[in-house]
Amino acid sequence: MKHIRNFSIIAHIDHGKSTLADRFIQFCGGLELREMSEQVLDSMDIEKERGITIKAQTAALQYKARDGEIYNLNLIDTPGHVDFSYEVSRSLAACEGALLVVDASQGVEAQTVANCYTAIEQGVEVVAVLNKIDLPAAEPERVIEEIEDIVGIEATDAVRASAKNGIGIEDILEAVVAKVPAPEGNPEGPLKALIIDSWFDNYVGVVMLVRVVDGEIKPKDKLLFMSTKAQHLCEQVGVFTPKSMQRDALKAGEVGFVIAGIKELASAKVGDTITHVKPAATDPLPGFKEVKSQVFAGLYPVESHDYDALRDSLEKLKLNDASLHFEPEVSQALGFGFRCGFLGLLHLEIVQERLEREFDMDLITTAPTVVYQVLMKDGELLEVENPSRLPDLSKIDEIREPIITATILVPQDYVGAVMTLCNQKRGAQRNMQYMGRQVMLTYDLPMAEVVMDFFDKLKSVSRGYASLDYDFKEFRADDLVKLDVLVNSERVDALSLIVHRATSIYRGRELVSKMRELIPRQMFDIAIQAAIGAHIIARETVKAMRKDVLAKCYGGDITRKKKLLEKQKAGKKRMKQVGNVEIPQEAFLAILQVSDK
Amino acid sequence: MSTIALPIGKSNWQLKALPPLSLYIHFPWCVRKCPYCDFNSHEARGGVPEDDYIAALVTDLESLLPLIWGRPIHSIFMGGGTPSLFSAQAMDQLLSALRARLKILPEAEITLEANPGTFEYEKFRDYRAAGINRLSVGIQSFDAGHLSAIGRIHNGDEARRAAEIAASHFDNFNLDLMFALPGQTLQQALADISTALSSGPSHLSCYHLTLEPNTYFHRYPPELPDDDAAADMHDAIEARLVEAGFIHYETSAYCRPGKMSYHNRNYWEFGDYLGIGAGAHGKISFPDRIIRQARYKQPAAYLNAVADGSAVQTEETLSLEQLPFEFMLNTMRLADGFPVELFQERTGLPLSALNRGLQQAESLGLIERDHQTIRPSAQGRRYQNRLLELFL
Repeated sequence: MKHIRNFSIIAHIDHGKSTLADRFIQFCGGLELREMSEQVLDSMDIEKERGITIKAQTAALQYKARDGEIYNLNLIDTPGHVDFSYEVSRSLAACEGALLVVDASQGVEAQTVANCYTAIEQGVEVVAVLNKIDLPAAEPERVIEEIEDIVGIEATDAVRASAKNGIGIEDILEAVVAKVPAPEGNPEGPLKALIIDSWFDNYVGVVMLVRVVDGEIKPKDKLLFMSTKAQHLCEQVGVFTPKSMQRDALKAGEVGFVIAGIKELASAKVGDTITHVKPAATDPLPGFKEVKSQVFAGLYPVESHDYDALRDSLEKLKLNDASLHFEPEVSQALGFGFRCGFLGLLHLEIVQERLEREFDMDLITTAPTVVYQVLMKDGELLEVENPSRLPDLSKIDEIREPIITATILVPQDYVGAVMTLCNQKRGAQRNMQYMGRQVMLTYDLPMAEVVMDFFDKLKSVSRGYASLDYDFKEFRADDLVKLDVLVNSERVDALSLIVHRATSIYRGRELVSKMRELIPRQMFDIAIQAAIGAHIIARETVKAMRKDVLAKCYGGDITRKKKLLEKQKAGKKRMKQVGNVEIPQEAFLAILQVSDK
Repeated sequence: MSTIALPIGKSNWQLKALPPLSLYIHFPWCVRKCPYCDFNSHEARGGVPEDDYIAALVTDLESLLPLIWGRPIHSIFMGGGTPSLFSAQAMDQLLSALRARLKILPEAEITLEANPGTFEYEKFRDYRAAGINRLSVGIQSFDAGHLSAIGRIHNGDEARRAAEIAASHFDNFNLDLMFALPGQTLQQALADISTALSSGPSHLSCYHLTLEPNTYFHRYPPELPDDDAAADMHDAIEARLVEAGFIHYETSAYCRPGKMSYHNRNYWEFGDYLGIGAGAHGKISFPDRIIRQARYKQPAAYLNAVADGSAVQTEETLSLEQLPFEFMLNTMRLADGFPVELFQERTGLPLSALNRGLQQAESLGLIERDHQTIRPSAQGRRYQNRLLELFL
């Protein structure tokens, strides 16, 4: 066990985590050069395009250190986005050490700080690495100071590296061997293994990535999953190098995969503890929690006959994404579809993109919303995930919205702009702390404001320098109202929103004006109205198109004209017929484009 | 591209009667390519190879004869390009060769497209003498400013003169006009109509200038009147022409009573047509199939292909699925639509093949129908693309 080092990498998006991981694998000979497609650990296409690691993956590396000994280094990759903070915490719980990788020219970002705090809380040894040291803009001294100020760890001897150009790779591995403690655990004790991640494989069913804390796990073992009490027979264990290699056993301190004939991801929950049926561990490992959806949106097929195909696609996605929730929903305007719950906005976008790209679905997505708690006059407490389902106001005592605590790290120059933004979004300042050239702002913000466009706005007012991390705080009552949209006098349930009364009139006006731009002219005038209750607060009209003809269709060559009409028809694919009006997908998300006062 | 080709001998699909047959002849040269034009036309640097081309057209036609044995020709249309770059003698020679090989009905409409330049209009009389009985002059506008804005090489005086000379030699002639030209006002568009009417044409084609892909204007779009202004012009032109006794019988075509273009109407009624010349398209029905042909587009490639034995670049047998849409694409351009039995006559399919689209179109108010005819409603003519989409 003393030759094992379990560690992960904490880094902001773009600070070079994936490239660094690739270098380690290359350096330790895990893959031949020809097998190295760029950034091996991020295997999903979307991850490659967006540069975000979505699911934790791992690589077991054999490293011959300068002391002549061979060490087993287990690199556990972690997601790098705020939507996936629970998964990050489980990855870190499986490690004794973490490399804090900071871009030597850009410095520390809020996401990194939040993950570092999680690591430190869990007693993980944090080792600082300055990446991109060879860039002309690198300022190692300033960044070291920043790390010490903000994160509060010793960083003077931080390894200086360039993952891209292979500088300092061996030094980092040496630092891992020297500074990260070897795992401790009882090899003889009853089995305790932490599920770091799980995913579905078409051939073997659910694959679990686990960290064995105590005992050992072998094929044919009878396994007990402590949160669900489910029992499964272990079929295979092994490690990823990152290619999968079967082993006879996984022992205390090791990280590897377990396959146990499990069909559903829900039975292998991230953070759960695996033990033997006999002898069973008495207590599970700490930190397990059920993941709850934070953001909800309706997903509807453009063509109603694609409903079954959409359900099948969602079920397939769920096989590999336990945090995706969905249930059937009927909208008067959009027909049959699904109300889906997501970890956050990014998660929503990824699911939407995968449905469109991998499953070839044409979707209408409604504007994202949060869960509201509604206290009825009869004392009943409801959870409302869809604004159009808000009960009649006369029966409501109060509406409570989720409040988050947001931690924003921003260079001093942009503090004013960020504070203005937070105030516009109904934020309440809780703390403000100067840390070197950066300022750490803490705000309580309504989550509904954050899921809309807060992140984009934050980036734009700070020229990309501000970074954000947030945690759910509480449900809090406020003066909230339902804003309805009527298209040709018909209320379109899929466009309803819950907004604060103070901004409702402005939002309603901006929303219908934005929709007027997004709905194309049709064969008749289209009235778009915003209403609060029976009270119309704004109206715009999309004037009828005057004509839509092919002026010339000549000489018998009709193939081009046919193609033109086919193209025009295909352009309407992302439009949903509501009544007799065709509404494009963008118009359902028009609220995301409404700017603040 | 077709998914199910008409299965020869394997189904009971058949045409009970063959439609009327027309002949289109393409002349692919122009003095200069106009910036809005997406037709198969090429600048005639150093003149046109008149004799070679006429000879090639005749050879090309001969290769088609086995496909149309015994069928009479109802109309001939010589289009381009600029057919009037060819001499009257060349046209005479061509028509003689056609008469020797085809059964051309005595009353057949024979149209020639001509440009309004001096070089061309001096030949109008001789074209008439060669047997051409309908002239279509590409006036576009009588306004010098608008003509130059759309890259035309003739001026307003030449346009007026060409219309007068056409009138003096042809009792049946068409003027092509365009509206919604760069910088054009409603009054200016109507002024063009009035000038056109003063020469006494039997037929007017009024096209909305549209920017087609693969044209100079598509790449460098000029500033055009907006959609509403263009629609106003369209409505005002229609009103003005109806007042002058014209019938608006097709999307962009107007005629005096009885003076519809037979040739064009045959397209709109899903009739048959042979196409000879560079880039010409043809549609030919047989009892057991319907084919479309396209010929090589580049003049040099066409001449070589004819010399090598066949000018046909692509030939396609239409699938049953394609027929309803293609039929509607054509017939819904006609204000009077079509008599219900025409659908089965031309496509060999029962009218029920159109049912779904017709029902939707009816509920959207885009068509009108009774037991005899199906025609686009006023709405359907205005929103023709929307109507046609229902049959895609």
